[in-house]
Amino acid sequence: MFYQTKTKSAALAFLVISGIIYAIFTGYFGREMVIEAAILAILAMSLDMVAGYGGMVSLCHGAIFGLGAYIFGILTAMLGLSPFLALPIAISVTALFGFAVGGVTSKTSGIFFIMTTLAFGQMVYVIIFDARSLGGDDGMSGIPRMDLSLIGLDMNDSLTFGIFVILAAALVYLLIAAILRAGFGRSLVGLRSNETRMRALGMAIWKYKATSFAISGGIAGLAGALAAQHTMFISPSMLVWTVSGEALVVVILGGLGTLIGPAFGAVLFVFLKHEVSEFTNYWHLIVGTVLIITVVMGNKGIYGQLEHMIDNWLHKKQGRISLAKEDNHA
Amino acid sequence: MLEALGLCKTFGALRVTNDVSFSLEKGERRVILGPNGAGKTTLFNLLVGELEPTAGTVQLNGDDVTRAGVEARAQMGLARSYQKNNLFDQLTVRENLALAVATATGKSAWFRKDTLKDAEINRIIVDVAAQVALSDHLDLAVESAPYGVRRQLEVGLALATGPSVLLMDEPTSGVGPEMIKAFHTLLKTLPENLTMLIIEHDMDLALDVADRVTVLNYGEVVFEGTPDETRSSPLVEEIYLGGWDSHA
Repeated sequence: MFYQTKTKSAALAFLVISGIIYAIFTGYFGREMVIEAAILAILAMSLDMVAGYGGMVSLCHGAIFGLGAYIFGILTAMLGLSPFLALPIAISVTALFGFAVGGVTSKTSGIFFIMTTLAFGQMVYVIIFDARSLGGDDGMSGIPRMDLSLIGLDMNDSLTFGIFVILAAALVYLLIAAILRAGFGRSLVGLRSNETRMRALGMAIWKYKATSFAISGGIAGLAGALAAQHTMFISPSMLVWTVSGEALVVVILGGLGTLIGPAFGAVLFVFLKHEVSEFTNYWHLIVGTVLIITVVMGNKGIYGQLEHMIDNWLHKKQGRISLAKEDNHA
Repeated sequence: MLEALGLCKTFGALRVTNDVSFSLEKGERRVILGPNGAGKTTLFNLLVGELEPTAGTVQLNGDDVTRAGVEARAQMGLARSYQKNNLFDQLTVRENLALAVATATGKSAWFRKDTLKDAEINRIIVDVAAQVALSDHLDLAVESAPYGVRRQLEVGLALATGPSVLLMDEPTSGVGPEMIKAFHTLLKTLPENLTMLIIEHDMDLALDVADRVTVLNYGEVVFEGTPDETRSSPLVEEIYLGGWDSHA
């Protein structure tokens, strides 16, 4: 079950504050890294919601991410719609797509579930890749950012956009945390733990799987729309299945089923990608090694392991305080 | 309340359930007896919808539910406990019960309120925990709980849904005499309007709680009667001594 522990709250505050401070004091390249990490964190948290808490390991979240970017791009750059309208439409369409994926795959599990999600993702990729009107392999440019000049914010400024994306990631965390703490989220954990029993208790499994996938898909779509605004350019490479694979790596690196862990994973992934690639092209090798170490060390991920250690320490400390109080009363 | 009419189930050439018919009245306690491999658990699976019958129908509260899914029958008030514990192992006893209560009350679809903090759900959890003697174990992680606690929780999960028909598959399987006694007391104290179908190997317990007894052998109903008729039946005695074979 998901509990918003003090450790999780502290970790969220740490990520948001340190991200903003880093964005303020670093240069343009550093801010680009912060934005990339925050967008990846949103995608990874959306994946963790269904994979970590619902037990549905998806290989189509990359495609949903790309779909969100394309819907936003088509509506703004091609049809001239306001980004303020395009963003909720992109989220809605990707949520609908997520609902369809979740509904259709609700009777499958394990490797069959994974492969079916992959098939859904590849379908979207192929359709967009083959669409000449969308630029095909060349992609699409000229995608605008949301205009917040009315409230005095210049979104074309990398610092403003960076802080906006960090805050968006924090809001996404709070939204998913609220859902996981509510009846729906608790049931999702029950589904992951024992689907047969949940069905025997009277749960209409497909509705919960489809709805959770819709929410997760909508959030992945939001990440895609933000990515489109970040680079102002989109291409089919955003929908390739390896994007889903990378998101899954980020989730496992940070800690599957910890929610805030994938945000840490995103920061580490982006850091390794950019810093290590300065020295070698084989930066994936380093990420792979870190991933293997993380999994072998206990499968909790980097944040998960840290949280486990901190919670144990707090538990012991609390135990000692209780014992001391009992001694004083005696 | 619950009626089986000519239920059959075959797996390839093997006929596991053969033309089984019976009817449970509201509040009736029916015990299913039979040797290992008699098809008792298969019959349960057919009744709750985990298996689809090859022939025959299942009626619940007068409705034909033969093609209805497991969840639909559960929503109509049919609950079951399993022969082998089928719990939410990574969760605590309280969280297990909360899932059952929330699902049964429709609160599992809440997007804003925490079911673990809901007063009504917590009241039901406390009641059910008291019924199955789990009050002192609510915060115990199921994966580290003793077998007896897990067995009690198995029945507790079914009870927590507030069923009108309860199917219990060997609730005392693998537990000691003290716990059998506790289950015995529990079965006697459950609401009178609760209809129960119980698979049980402990004859003393079975014949004490039952209004009627159905005996299965090789997937067929070979005997049906009151506990007294069961006690005095040479056929039932023979089956339990292991020498009877209808196919011989």
